[in-house]
Amino acid sequence: MLKRSGYVLAIVSTLVLILTSCGKPTPTSTSTTPSSTTKVTTTTSTTTTGSTTKPPATTTGSGTTTTPATTPSAPQILRINLSGEPATVDPNRASFVAERTIIMQVFEGLLGFNQDLTLRPVVAKEIPTTGNGGISADGKTYTFKLRNDVTWSDGKRVTAKDFEYSIKRMLSPELAAAYASFYFDIVGAVQYNGAVKETDANKAKLRDAVGVKSTDDYTLVVSIAQPRPTFLQLMALWPAYPVREDVVTKLGDKWTEPPNYIGNGPFIMTEWVHQDHITLKANPNYWGTKPKLSEIQVKMITDANAAMAAYKNNELDIVAPPTGTERTVMADTTLKNEIVRYPEMATYAFQFNLKAAPFDNKKVRQALSMAVDRAAFVDKVRAGVGKVALSWVPPGIPGYDANLGKDYDFNPAKAKQLLADAGYSDVSKLPPIKFQYADAGGNKVIAQFLQGQMKDNLGIDISLEPMEPKSFSQMFGQKKQTWVFISWTGDYPDPDNWLPDLFGTGLGANRNEYSNPAFDALAKQAKGELDNAKRIQIWSDAQKLVIDDAPMVTLHYRERFVLVKPTVKGLKVTSMDGKTPGDMFYSGVSIGK
Amino acid sequence: MLKFTIRRILWLLAVLLIVAFLTFSLMHLVPGGPWDRDKPLAPQVVENLNQKYGLDRPFLVQFVSYIWNVLHGDLGVSYSYQDRGVTQILMEGLPKTGIIGLSAFLLALLLGLPLGMAAALKQNSLIDYISVFFSTVFASIPGFVLGILMMILLAATLHLLPTGGWGSPTQVIMPAVALAALPAAYVARITRASMLDVMRQDYTRTARAKGLTQKVVLLRHILRNALISVMTIAGPELAFLICGSFIIENVFSVPGIGRLFVQSVLARDYGLIMGAILFYTTAVAVMNMVVDILYAVVDPRIRHD
Repeated sequence: MLKRSGYVLAIVSTLVLILTSCGKPTPTSTSTTPSSTTKVTTTTSTTTTGSTTKPPATTTGSGTTTTPATTPSAPQILRINLSGEPATVDPNRASFVAERTIIMQVFEGLLGFNQDLTLRPVVAKEIPTTGNGGISADGKTYTFKLRNDVTWSDGKRVTAKDFEYSIKRMLSPELAAAYASFYFDIVGAVQYNGAVKETDANKAKLRDAVGVKSTDDYTLVVSIAQPRPTFLQLMALWPAYPVREDVVTKLGDKWTEPPNYIGNGPFIMTEWVHQDHITLKANPNYWGTKPKLSEIQVKMITDANAAMAAYKNNELDIVAPPTGTERTVMADTTLKNEIVRYPEMATYAFQFNLKAAPFDNKKVRQALSMAVDRAAFVDKVRAGVGKVALSWVPPGIPGYDANLGKDYDFNPAKAKQLLADAGYSDVSKLPPIKFQYADAGGNKVIAQFLQGQMKDNLGIDISLEPMEPKSFSQMFGQKKQTWVFISWTGDYPDPDNWLPDLFGTGLGANRNEYSNPAFDALAKQAKGELDNAKRIQIWSDAQKLVIDDAPMVTLHYRERFVLVKPTVKGLKVTSMDGKTPGDMFYSGVSIGK
Repeated sequence: MLKFTIRRILWLLAVLLIVAFLTFSLMHLVPGGPWDRDKPLAPQVVENLNQKYGLDRPFLVQFVSYIWNVLHGDLGVSYSYQDRGVTQILMEGLPKTGIIGLSAFLLALLLGLPLGMAAALKQNSLIDYISVFFSTVFASIPGFVLGILMMILLAATLHLLPTGGWGSPTQVIMPAVALAALPAAYVARITRASMLDVMRQDYTRTARAKGLTQKVVLLRHILRNALISVMTIAGPELAFLICGSFIIENVFSVPGIGRLFVQSVLARDYGLIMGAILFYTTAVAVMNMVVDILYAVVDPRIRHD
């Protein structure tokens, strides 16, 4: 899941932050101390979330827990802030967290996630496994049996054809969907998505050749070109949610406004005042357990200070306090009882370009990693929000290894020794070190922190090069950087989303020129390994190689730090939440006294 | 006058074309494009996006086809908000920004003019000092600081007004006041200075010597002459206010067009940048033209033909 927080929105909010001097702006946050509130149930998944995981018995098909209905007296309206206008709410095209927050209320896929991030069947009757015949023995054919009672918000039946249409639409070259590449394992997907310059007739042929077929109204068969153990997780993500062919065909890109924005989820969109708010109401035709909320008001307050004021003025039920004000919030007698903190699926690091000297030297990289006092960063720069990261895959995701990277714990003496081993006992002999960063949000403070650490702990002078965010992205994309601050926010809870694309030789997100044949071999093996436990073990081994090679100085795991009004009951947060806390399970939320 | 107006409109079209070309060129020269993200998009996806939005075509072809569409009333697509056209985005935001801008403009005149006049007429009196104090303070405090202060006081503490958003008249008050502060101070200062200037002119003395009443001297001689300089700043100021303020709209969550200018540049949303720039250029040029025409109305000595 992409976060705009990186740059664009951060700039916007920080501009005001800086100008109003209402606090030190720093970017996204993280931490270790538990929240003083207990009303929110936080689960960090420690179990493996492979494709064969069975859903817990306590959930119904619709995924809402069966609690006795109460007759609440307060209006059942939840007010949240999206911090800006979603770019699109078309499930096939969306790529940002704010978009996902809306889509998750209005649509439901074949599969979904439980609070512990294991899979659960939603529109599908059951999770396909080799045991129930849902997955072929070679791991290349998935058969989804659909429930026959699932309806669209206008009452029509949701069928396998809707999914077939949606997935093929998502893969079409004309739609140019950002997440299409996630589904390139599907037979014929690459060819169809790459057919951008083909004739219409050829495109139609390629479209028909895509390995997604509805064999009857309630059976969807998906063929993939090679085994992909995490394929079911991909099928639980928003790009594979169903969309309505008749509506989309009739209205084209403009179908995403009420009343045409027809979904199959617990809520429907009744109003969208652009740049201002979206109103979601309970879907009267919802096929599953009806949501307790009658309405969700989604505001689009871009300025973090304004959002905080709105929360204090009782216009919002949930808010993220402006970054840098966490300590003030923790000291506030009222607000401190409304704090909710939980880990997110996100890691931050200072990433080297391995082709740029002196970072082509492993000992230098390891030395620099040891010379960064991460605990001081979390405590001083992040106000204690977040958790020190010594490895890459964050806690809560299979493959996380709490013991990994211990060698990089803050140790300036050992760092100096390593530098000496590398031939730099005199650090002035090091080539000039430059650190580039997108000049937005709190990146400047972070860059200065690193500069200070290098100077204080090793006596190395590094020069900082702030850049306009989009220029930075482009430069980074062209691999012209030397040392940069990066963040990675997971799309799905599996090392498969954290390791291969970033560290595989020459792959898409590998912009730091990391290349280790041993890693590549393990990655290839893991990608095809159908035994989940074995697969996770292989990824774990692969991560060990990466951490040992130190292609980056891992810094911290992000933690969400938000305020929730005591009236909000039953909020279920996960490390996979979209823009707003608990947005994967709003249908179970109610408003009390 | 008609000839003058027609000539100015033709000039405006030429200016718009030049501005469009310059903006279009600059946009493509600036490093970073709309698809550059922290988390990279797959090359195939980028190719599809470029094809979809015509970014794979030669620069001049893109420009000519853009102008062609603009002439047909279509400002193109927004790369950030892909489901809505630029025309639609601007048209939806414009009334909101316009209402706040006009309210702020009227407020600035209603506050600034009387304050400046009173200060000039009673120079070095208490009211003059109050006026000068007011102008200095509000010219120095940025609008968004005033906005945040108001928000903390009136919304978060006293709960009298909503913090922002759109829909009810109460939501116009704070952004309009915050936006009006600076121009009001400016208008007051200019009014005061130019009135003082006019009051010392020979023709004012002559008018008084003729035995005209204070009221006639003030309305017909002093004010009318002093207004010329006020109008000179009021025109562009109105254009500026109607185009909205990024910061004020951001602070008060006004769903207007002011925010779009900065956002679109940051996002390299070429379509929205072009639309916003063309709109802004038109607004400023039209307001300047209106001011020029009004000069002749207010001051018969000025003739445009």
